[in-house]
Amino acid sequence: MLQEYMILSIILFCIGVVGLISRRNIIVIYMSIELLLNAVNLSLVAISADLADTSGQVISLIIIAIAASEAALFMSLFVVLFRNKSSLDADLFDMLGSKK
Amino acid sequence: MQNEIIFAILALLTIVSSIVMISAHRPIDSALAFIVALICIAALFGLVNATFLFVVQIIIYAGAILSLILFIVMFLNIKDENLPDEKNKNWWLLGTSLIVAPFGAILIDLIVRSDIAVNMVPAEGFGGIKDVGLTLFSKWVLPFELVSILLLVALVGAVTLAKRDN
Repeated sequence: MLQEYMILSIILFCIGVVGLISRRNIIVIYMSIELLLNAVNLSLVAISADLADTSGQVISLIIIAIAASEAALFMSLFVVLFRNKSSLDADLFDMLGSKK
Repeated sequence: MQNEIIFAILALLTIVSSIVMISAHRPIDSALAFIVALICIAALFGLVNATFLFVVQIIIYAGAILSLILFIVMFLNIKDENLPDEKNKNWWLLGTSLIVAPFGAILIDLIVRSDIAVNMVPAEGFGGIKDVGLTLFSKWVLPFELVSILLLVALVGAVTLAKRDN
């Protein structure tokens, strides 16, 4: 079962990387990052089940907590960016601290 | 045999819904496709006896994070003119997949060639809340405390960022 899980995890990771690189909508970029984290979680859980060791599941629990805190930060960033430029286009957000 | 069939169905659903997620034009469509992918991944966790993570994945990812995304998408009241106009989106997706595919193929080839499966037999109650909790609070106490600090920082940071500066 481990090999199938690892192959699925690699495929999901590749889909996430493709979405991360090629899209310009920041919400889709954020969800691609979440997909990358989920692919890693899937491989960690599969390895933990194969080795009968719970540590992998604890690592993926910690990754889920990190993803939750990331979600809170991203959401407030979306609100600020949308308020400033009223667009979701990642190409417009290149000011990086400069005065508008 | 039964597990393999369930795995194949879930894997197909996950891959299809994540492709829909990265290629949908409107963010609400990709969020809804992402919910399907997350629930399928939760079911895949359940298939390898990770029952506690199954529950956590559904509560935190499909419950909290996705409802936060949907809330923000509806709160911002996004119209079609606010979306980036990605005329060549499909060409970009195709080109990037052609670049990423060789790396994925190399990794899959590596996994298929190497015999990594150990096939240990799990003990009774493996992956349950007691097992995971005992490991978390005995071997992984320091990362647990660091995660609590990280959550505090994220909380303060989210409030500070979203505040209107006068």
